[in-house]
Amino acid sequence: MASVSVIEAGRPVLGRRSLLRTWRGGLQGSEFAWALAFCIPYVAVFLAFVAYPIVYGLWLGHNPALYAELWQDPIFQMTVVNTIIYLAVGVNVKMFFALLLSGFFMRRGWWVKGLLMIYVLPWAVPALPTFISIHWMLNSQWGLLNNVLWDVFHIDGPGWLDTSRWMALGAVIVSYIWKNMPFWTVILLAGRMSIPQELYEAAEVDGATGLRRFAHISFPLLANLYLVCTLLSTIFTLGDFNTVTFVSGGGPALTTHVLATIGIRDAFDIARPDLGVAAVMTALPLMIPLVLILMRKLRTSEVQL
Amino acid sequence: MKVPTRRSVLRGAAAAVAAGTLVRPYVANAAAGTATVWWTQGFVPEEDAAFRSIVAEYQKASGNTIDYSLVPFAPLMQKIISAITSGDVPDLISHDVADQAIVPQNAWNDKIVDVSDIVEAQKSEYHPTAYLASQYYNNVKKQRSFYFIPYKTAVVPFHIWIPLVEKAGYKLADAPKTWDAFFDFFKPVQKKLRDQGMRSLYSMGLQLTTTGPADGNNLFHAFLIANGGNGIVTKDGKPHLDDPQVKEAVVKSLTYLADAFKGGYVPPGALSWNDADDNNAFHSKLMVMDFDGTISTEVALYHDKAEYNAIATLGLPARNDGGPNAAQLGVGGGFIPTGAKNVEVAKEFMKFVIQPKVMNSYLKEGLGRWLPAYPSLVKSDPFWLDPSDPHRPNYVREGLIDQTVVNYPVFNPGYAEVNATQIWGSAEADVIRNGLTPEQAADKAFKKIETILAKYPIVQS
Repeated sequence: MASVSVIEAGRPVLGRRSLLRTWRGGLQGSEFAWALAFCIPYVAVFLAFVAYPIVYGLWLGHNPALYAELWQDPIFQMTVVNTIIYLAVGVNVKMFFALLLSGFFMRRGWWVKGLLMIYVLPWAVPALPTFISIHWMLNSQWGLLNNVLWDVFHIDGPGWLDTSRWMALGAVIVSYIWKNMPFWTVILLAGRMSIPQELYEAAEVDGATGLRRFAHISFPLLANLYLVCTLLSTIFTLGDFNTVTFVSGGGPALTTHVLATIGIRDAFDIARPDLGVAAVMTALPLMIPLVLILMRKLRTSEVQL
Repeated sequence: MKVPTRRSVLRGAAAAVAAGTLVRPYVANAAAGTATVWWTQGFVPEEDAAFRSIVAEYQKASGNTIDYSLVPFAPLMQKIISAITSGDVPDLISHDVADQAIVPQNAWNDKIVDVSDIVEAQKSEYHPTAYLASQYYNNVKKQRSFYFIPYKTAVVPFHIWIPLVEKAGYKLADAPKTWDAFFDFFKPVQKKLRDQGMRSLYSMGLQLTTTGPADGNNLFHAFLIANGGNGIVTKDGKPHLDDPQVKEAVVKSLTYLADAFKGGYVPPGALSWNDADDNNAFHSKLMVMDFDGTISTEVALYHDKAEYNAIATLGLPARNDGGPNAAQLGVGGGFIPTGAKNVEVAKEFMKFVIQPKVMNSYLKEGLGRWLPAYPSLVKSDPFWLDPSDPHRPNYVREGLIDQTVVNYPVFNPGYAEVNATQIWGSAEADVIRNGLTPEQAADKAFKKIETILAKYPIVQS
């Protein structure tokens, strides 16, 4: 009896100690206090500048009536369609050409390196001036493009950003691709460079060249990286505010807004911050699965390329 | 070097926290005589210099401190909305379109401090329209009261390049004196100038925009009034969308504006113009005439006298039925958001700003871009009606001597949302781009306006 009671009495003590050890992460005494002291500022900053704004945003946009109001608004409906087109076309075209171009930039030669340097310039220069420049270039009245069309061919160019939704959205997508493709090309180039050269040499011995080498070596080994990059890029692009704002301004007549820009319009132009937050929140059903897939892919990609 | 121990670090942190706690009362004491003020940055540097000068004068006279920020128009709007939403507000705010975009809704929600004591004290001085524009409906208290302290006013005049009109072989003096005919006058001017090789020139800078914030609404309302539709919202806050006269005025306005665009008399980019775009296009001489609020267009060229004098500023032609027209008087002023920490200093500062002498010198130093809120000032100070200036006299006459009406959000805060959502700009786009007839576009706009205004039922006392 006595031995049983000793064991039973000792169990909770062992449990508490074990919990404490787990909580301390194996650290002891002053080490734990130091660790805590270093963590507190980060946790405080995280709570103040990440957690609090997110919770506040969720609270601002919590009223279901806001979502009903949004979905009844034809401008919002058009915005959702624009966002889907922007993501589907913009991201995929950009990633596909980035994949192809990364192959081109694998070629040897000083002029390829020089070309690569020029090619990455659009990504390296600040976004706002470039998008504003594009906006001015496409101005139908005094823009560079229409002036060139007039001077060279003596024809009046169209109102690129002025009258047609599709032309303006096209201009936004092309600007987005032009600006962002170099970055992803470089990422995929790095991916290609990490593929062991022996694989290509072995394939060459077997008589595989060109497209077959790409189909059987490069693409399978790059597939995971390509998918992760595409997911990541989709998440970035979903929150892209600059391209639409500074190229088309959401025009003509509010027809080229995307979720990131309509949220700002609702919050500050219409002075309805709750509606603006709700508009941005509507991206969550797309955003959350993307993040989850991305996390899964990142886990598996550790053992691949 | 001594290695810091855990105890020494913790001791140091505790000491820093204690020191911070001891410093706080000093800040609190300083705040007793300090007001945090957000003010709209001027269009020209002279306006900001004039503001700094009255702040210095006030600080010297009162011993209080004005901790001010001069913020550009658009970012200030975002700052104000964020501040009021979060509750972390300054003591005093002045934004150029606050009378139409911020004060009406926030007075409705009881988020602005009542300033009846300040405005009522100057009642005899105020222009009747400015006085009216200081009163808004509070839905919590179920009554109208004073929430806005006007210190400046503005109207929308015409800005016209005289050399372009003359180059086309016309004289501005020959322009007709009624609304639509006045606009029509510029159409052949465009044709003549294009024939002379000015390929990209347009006759009218009409802001048929859905971008805003103010120009597109100002333009449509000017047409609405000129077509007899001023009764769309009345002083009791009630909309009159079923009034045939209002409907007819809306349809006529939409028809004229859309026809002008479709006829190629308006730059195509106007559909997406923001408030600065028409000014830039006009300065670049890409259109002969612009219809834009204040004389900012002219004062921006104040130091380039040749250009400054080449522009004509004209008031409004008569309504289309031949009757006298009325401009909507925009009113600039200050308001104190609920939760302001130092209401007393904010009020004292505004009392100082609206002293006739201070108001006059402040607006004069700002090159007269804004008009005073007191008509007596333009009669007593020759600066305002000085015939040697090509712009101010006509601008003053339109704003403070001729008939004016108040902006509709003053009567019903829902109209502020109507303006913000650019319903009229969207109606114009519906006719221009989406193939709706002006009648269909008007009905669609009325439906939207009805839905918005239904959220703001005003109880009559």
